[in-house]
Amino acid sequence: MKRWRAASLAAAAAAALVLSGCGGTGGGGGSGDGKGELLVWVDNTRMPAAQQYEKAHPDLRMRIVTIPPDAGYVPTKVSLANRTKSGWPDVVFLANPAEAATLASEKFGYAAPLDDLVPKTVRDGFTPGSLETCTFGGKVYCLRNDIAPTVLWYDAKLMKRYGYQVPKTWAEYQRTGLKAAEEHPGTIVGAVNGKYGAGIYFGSSGCPTRDTRSLTEVHIDLGGPNCTRVADLLQPLAREKAVTTVLPIDPGFAKFGKGDKILMLPAPAWFGDFMFGPAFKVPGGRVAAAPMPTWPGESKPYAGQVGGGAFLVSAHAGARTEQAADLVRWMTTDVNLQARQPTYPAFTAAAKKWGEAKSKDPYYASDPMPALTAAANALRPGFGAVRFEADWQSSFNDTFVKAVDSDGNLRDSLDSWQDKLEAAAGTSGYTVG
Amino acid sequence: MRTLTTPRSPTVAAAAPAMPRRRRRPARTAAVWILVGPYTLFLAVFGLAPAGYALWTSFVDDGSFSGGRDWAAVFHDYRLGDAAAHVATYLLLWLPILLLAVLSLAFTLHARPGRTTSALQLVYYLPGAVTGSAAALLWLFMVSPDSSPFSPLLRLMDVKSATDALSGGSLIAVLTVMGVAVHAGGWIVVLYGALNALPKDVLEAAQVDGASAWRTMWHVKLPMVRTYVAFVLISSFASGSQVFVEPTVLSTGAPGQISPTWSVNQLAYVYATQDGDFGKAAALSLAMLAVGVLAAWIVITRTRMYATDSSDSR
Repeated sequence: MKRWRAASLAAAAAAALVLSGCGGTGGGGGSGDGKGELLVWVDNTRMPAAQQYEKAHPDLRMRIVTIPPDAGYVPTKVSLANRTKSGWPDVVFLANPAEAATLASEKFGYAAPLDDLVPKTVRDGFTPGSLETCTFGGKVYCLRNDIAPTVLWYDAKLMKRYGYQVPKTWAEYQRTGLKAAEEHPGTIVGAVNGKYGAGIYFGSSGCPTRDTRSLTEVHIDLGGPNCTRVADLLQPLAREKAVTTVLPIDPGFAKFGKGDKILMLPAPAWFGDFMFGPAFKVPGGRVAAAPMPTWPGESKPYAGQVGGGAFLVSAHAGARTEQAADLVRWMTTDVNLQARQPTYPAFTAAAKKWGEAKSKDPYYASDPMPALTAAANALRPGFGAVRFEADWQSSFNDTFVKAVDSDGNLRDSLDSWQDKLEAAAGTSGYTVG
Repeated sequence: MRTLTTPRSPTVAAAAPAMPRRRRRPARTAAVWILVGPYTLFLAVFGLAPAGYALWTSFVDDGSFSGGRDWAAVFHDYRLGDAAAHVATYLLLWLPILLLAVLSLAFTLHARPGRTTSALQLVYYLPGAVTGSAAALLWLFMVSPDSSPFSPLLRLMDVKSATDALSGGSLIAVLTVMGVAVHAGGWIVVLYGALNALPKDVLEAAQVDGASAWRTMWHVKLPMVRTYVAFVLISSFASGSQVFVEPTVLSTGAPGQISPTWSVNQLAYVYATQDGDFGKAAALSLAMLAVGVLAAWIVITRTRMYATDSSDSR
């Protein structure tokens, strides 16, 4: 009997071991170091620019690798390279700049500080506040390629038809939203979900949900007025369904656009080109941009942020460090190159040129550039890159969005969001102040 | 518990002792090694060696012994409780439904042989032909009312968008339905094959004795295919407790709706890749392996999966 038990346990172990392999996830090793060649990882969109640089530098040996823009891809690959101690890319593009916090951390030790590699005069040319995402403990670890300041997008035709004014303050925004919900049921004036809710409303309000003070310190305090005012703003709008919890990138969101139900939508700059027309099917000549409404007691309309990319230089680049830094500098600051890129350039001079075409775009009901430029220059400080970005989003959904969905008390939900954020920050190696 | 055993053919039984034993032994041993050797090799290289390396990694950080630090950190992680609860709920819902679906459909097919049965086998198998990430992508469309062929049904269930379908508690329901659809077909084919291999004389004897279809199924067929059912259970428990691909791929359709640490396996993956902490990843993976071994051992002993006719008779 004992023998049978031992045999069955061994068989169970063997079966479980074999079966456990079936559900596991494989991961390939990182790329090789290319024997002196500059290894560059970029997404599809950045590929032509990298190839252009390669062509302009025939003496430089470069290898350009296309990477997917998926969140987590770069840290995954770099952690494998760290494990094998080879295969790090010399330059990498991050579609999700929050990952700079991971890659610059002591555990990863991948991102090289750029303070001595990129002159201050060049860094000063970036839109004010745009490099804050890249800055930890006073050191700059990445250069922003593009930024995603939020503006108040609205349907100019619907506004005119309903006889409404574009709100300048959040109080006006709330009144207009409630009026629209009553007079034109089904109309929405905003979306509250994941980063779109947290980045737009809480980000623009300056609520410290992810205020990084260094690579190991983060300030989170959802009890302050900058946070509770967001809950108070959205509470009645949520009750009247004037804000939706459907994710704007969900195909289901198109029903609002097709049905003429999007009156206003505070959203990032890139929504103008990539969401209203292609995804929401709002016809041309209707969408316009206004600055974000102003919060009580403030005179400046601060913008939140949702999106944008960044370039990093590897701390393992060795002799190729200068070349890597030069490539990153060129990719982010070349005016002609940046003027052709799809989203709002982080470099001020490039953004100006980029806006020339945008101003003439017949899709918009009026020139969106004044509002976009104002938003880019009014990024709310305190919205840092954190290592718990994914938890930041999912904890927001688990608490605040859940309360919006269930007609709960939004102010109360901030307490549970605070708890979850603190736990997430602690697990990621931050001390919460 | 009494179980039915396959009666041996008298011819074979009588002929067996007459075989020259000495000459057959080396051939038998060779055959055993040829059959078991590759498996043993693969088990050692891809099962035992990685598990041993994981054990080493969970206790040694950068060449120095770290004690149980990684293990303690894993068990104190605030995400582990949620992830374990998600997986346990998923298993509690999915495993019984899967087993019930597999057993009922396989027995029904076996009880009503014919052309329709062959066609139905294919129908049942088809959803299972699309597996892994492809299945998750397919299901992403299925749960999006705007693209789903079942959109009226989804609207009836108050699912207005993929965000609705994949957020909160509804994710478990989606994963359960998806898991049954993806896995049931293959197991039905396996179980149907096992049922077809049952000795006809035993089934005929049951019929002659007046056993109803239900009694035949419950008291004759089921005991004879219990090892297959046990295998379905162990395999399904292993894959279910390691659920990873489905929530990961579904989360790409509605970013931010599904936590990247929704399941235990995902948490281990996040340790290794996002946090760069292989020690914690190894510790959690080994903890999961221990749970898998324990579950497999319980099923094996309860069903006497590896019991042979000779051990039964002891």
